[in-house]
Amino acid sequence: MPWRTFDHTADVGLRIEAPTRPALFEEAGRALAALIVEDPDAVEARETLRFDLVAADPEDLLFDWLQALLVAFEVQGMLLTRFRVTLEGERLRAEASGERVDRARHRLAHEVKAITYHGLSLRRADDGWRAEVIVDI
Amino acid sequence: MEPPDLHARLEPIDDVRWRIPRGALPGMRVDGVVFADEALLADLGDDPALAQVAHVATLPGIRGASLAMPDIHWGYGFCIGGVAATDPADGGVVSPGGVGYDINCGVRLLRTDLVEGDLRGRLETLIEALLAHVPAGVGRSGPFHFSRRELEALLAEGVPWLQRRGLATDDDVAHCESEGCIADARPDLVGDVAYERGADQCGTVGSGNHFVEVLVVDRIEDAAAAAAFGLEAGQVCVLIHSGSRGLGYQVCDDALRALRGVPERYGIALPDRQLACAPIASPEGAAYLGAMRAAANYAFGNRQLLAVQVRETFERVFGAPWQRLGMTLLYDVAHNIAKMERHTLDGAEVELCVHRKGATRAFPAGHPDVPDDYRSVGQPVIVPGDMGRASWVLVGGPAAMEKSFGTSCHGAGRALSRTAAVKAAKGRDVRAELAARGVVARATSRRGLDEEQPDAYKDVDRVVDVVHRAGLALRVARLRPLGVIKG
Repeated sequence: MPWRTFDHTADVGLRIEAPTRPALFEEAGRALAALIVEDPDAVEARETLRFDLVAADPEDLLFDWLQALLVAFEVQGMLLTRFRVTLEGERLRAEASGERVDRARHRLAHEVKAITYHGLSLRRADDGWRAEVIVDI
Repeated sequence: MEPPDLHARLEPIDDVRWRIPRGALPGMRVDGVVFADEALLADLGDDPALAQVAHVATLPGIRGASLAMPDIHWGYGFCIGGVAATDPADGGVVSPGGVGYDINCGVRLLRTDLVEGDLRGRLETLIEALLAHVPAGVGRSGPFHFSRRELEALLAEGVPWLQRRGLATDDDVAHCESEGCIADARPDLVGDVAYERGADQCGTVGSGNHFVEVLVVDRIEDAAAAAAFGLEAGQVCVLIHSGSRGLGYQVCDDALRALRGVPERYGIALPDRQLACAPIASPEGAAYLGAMRAAANYAFGNRQLLAVQVRETFERVFGAPWQRLGMTLLYDVAHNIAKMERHTLDGAEVELCVHRKGATRAFPAGHPDVPDDYRSVGQPVIVPGDMGRASWVLVGGPAAMEKSFGTSCHGAGRALSRTAAVKAAKGRDVRAELAARGVVARATSRRGLDEEQPDAYKDVDRVVDVVHRAGLALRVARLRPLGVIKG
């Protein structure tokens, strides 16, 4: 399993592992989607949004990426579950596909208030990359 | 991240206060002080909250001590239950982490003239009607739609603006903390994304630990204060818990982004990025305070519009106008906020920025900021517990100004993480268990109910016992839940 949750008393932590850094960002997007909607596999790829983000360091970039996905859900009602991420240094370009919330088909799980910086980490692991991020529920 | 375990460094001050001595962690400018009894401390286990109390003690300009209320648990940056007062005249900082994402999350309590017997046979109908009429749950928008200009006015003026639009009464305004409006708000410093997130969420509950609950006054402990607050045993009340919704979350997020690199620029070394801060007297600090106050005013407005919808629901179910049902506002308190307040330190009166992160203002009798009709007894302090056991109304206590910058606890505090609570609910039916205890619970998601089950929280009676014995806030009335709607 490339990502799993870890315990935080009031909120939820995500621990994400992937062989490459772009794959890590894609997994992080899927992990966030799975917090928001109970069955992310039922979300269809009907629309694609494009993202182009630049940050000062890798951790900020991960933060900004997850925050951008959260805002797409909050403002446009877009559930994004499929991702193609490319990275050049601290610049991220991504295509994210999904569809607008349909309450008849999508069971929403959590209201994610925000991505937090508390304990935010992104580093190389033995066989790839590993990140931890706590989201405020 | 391996936070240091500070349990071994705790020194008892008295039977309800524990000191984390300055020096327990490098950079601490003041002691940490935790209000708790031995059992609550033991319950904390290896929770990193104590390290967070010590981290906050490193903030520039912090005065007195870095405090934690007995409902302390692990937050991000500040612990939940954390209180810190910083002095602008001494390089004191303001930190969005000391307020939290849900700016001016808080609670308000409505009275009714109904008694428990009036709900017999109608409780389920009432709770189902609340679920149908009051928007709750992820991504739910409300019936109130504001133009950008109207939202800006709400952010500047809070509940008094709603009063002028016929959506609040003078009495509602008078019974909100700060009369429902924090002065010097700067709606112009709130970003576009925040406005977009908040556009149709004013008057919605949200999810997580937010709720609308119907309760009955179970026991009166202080007859004089209860009389001043208009509370009697057997009386039905409604408790509303929500905050500034997506607008506030985004204001906090934007502030943390704007503060990237700022602490370094002011030579401030931080043990945790989530404690990002800026001097109160700096342009960055002032910008955050202005936007935070605007979000706080939105939150007061959100709880007011929730109260409007609760009153409408009662009108339909009981077939009488809400005024005839006696549904007046007892009080509305913020529990995630930073406010400039006057306090006495070492005999001198100073203006401090008091951060309350999961903590409630608790001003005592005679304080000028307590509404006229309560001033002889003190400010109401509303402490939600859990949906199965109890909640409390307290009154600001005599020792609060001296010991805690006029602050008390804000709730029971979580005992189980969300994951652990869901695991504990496996194979059980939380809704049926609550029904067996006489509580009608309805949620938009079953998982939400599992995460918020009574066992996920500490026993609020024990938390309240600590603040009562410490003199921060005194027991007035215990309320027992009858029904609840959750997001």
